[in-house]
Amino acid sequence: MVSVEREGEQKRSLSYRKNKCVGCGICTDICPTEALRLGPLVPIARGLVDMDYVNVDKNKCALCGLCAASCPFEAFEFKIDDINIKEHELYPKWTSKAEIDEEECLYCKACETACPRDAITVSRELPERSKLVVGEIEINEDTCIHCGICEEMCPADAITMNNENIEAPEISVDEDKCVYCLICKRACPVDAIKAACRSCSYGIYEINPEDAETKGYSFIDEDTCVNCGWCQEICPVDAATVSKPFEGEVIFAEEAECKGESCHACMDVCPCNAISLVDGKSVINPKFCILCGACAKACPQDRIIIRRDKINMENVRSKSWQKQIDKLVGVESK
Amino acid sequence: MPVEIDMEKCGQIKDCPGEGLCIKICEQGALIEEDGKLVIIPEKCDDCDLCIQNCPNQAISKKS
Repeated sequence: MVSVEREGEQKRSLSYRKNKCVGCGICTDICPTEALRLGPLVPIARGLVDMDYVNVDKNKCALCGLCAASCPFEAFEFKIDDINIKEHELYPKWTSKAEIDEEECLYCKACETACPRDAITVSRELPERSKLVVGEIEINEDTCIHCGICEEMCPADAITMNNENIEAPEISVDEDKCVYCLICKRACPVDAIKAACRSCSYGIYEINPEDAETKGYSFIDEDTCVNCGWCQEICPVDAATVSKPFEGEVIFAEEAECKGESCHACMDVCPCNAISLVDGKSVINPKFCILCGACAKACPQDRIIIRRDKINMENVRSKSWQKQIDKLVGVESK
Repeated sequence: MPVEIDMEKCGQIKDCPGEGLCIKICEQGALIEEDGKLVIIPEKCDDCDLCIQNCPNQAISKKS
């Protein structure tokens, strides 16, 4: 939805994208004309009110595009003559990003589970079980009394008994499912099952290692990813790499008292699932924090201070923009 | 110290732009509705100040 649009020498438009906004307030801090106002963060995050995190005052907005360029979440889309400044060579670019190395990925899905934005999809194709075992199995229909003990015991559900016709019951083994564990053979009361497992001993050489590989793909949705670092931290083979939008640290104001369970405003607004309560006080894990500042804005006790040392953005060509963007860095902003 | 409500600014809950947002946001149950008006139960207030921060009428405060 276009928030502001004007045509002059150029056509410029600014669109707010609610689904990408986390309510951090970077845009409201940076807007040179005070055209952006932050809504009630905590009630919105808790779903108590249905409002946008950010409101744009059309009359104040100068359509400069600074908000769109400085939003790490791309919650504002700014277009000049229908070209998104994200694609425009003259405008700044974030260097923060998250990637999964397909060569290294084992498709374990740990990142998919951990991602607080549900931005990761791991799709995998498992190897065929029958190609990973070697053996033989045969049930002697003449000896078999069709008691069904083997069917009940088979851990792989490979044995099916059909005794609809009581005169001529049938029993069969699905060799795609059978893993030659030999439980059926041992449990059969009439020794009707002949089975052997050759997976250990020399049979292992008959198994093609390629048949044992799990194939698949992992995908990070850039639209929802906030570069929090959960995937990087949780990946057991270091296949995920994340670079964050800011470097710096979170400081807690000593004189302020955290109200913990009564409040937990910071936890509710954090887009990174980086905050937890330890001994009744909120603690921010720097591994997952992106220093967006939503928690600092939400804390009614003003206990959280964000200190950004570096902003991972390049190609800031305008001095006045650099000056404005630098306001996010180096200072202890509330 | 529990919060204080400015009844003039608060008015009737049915007129509240946040539809009684303070009651919903207070997880201690310290703010309740009685006869259409906001009432505080001081002993339940934990001083988290979420109500002060989020009241659309700026009707809740603390004595400084």
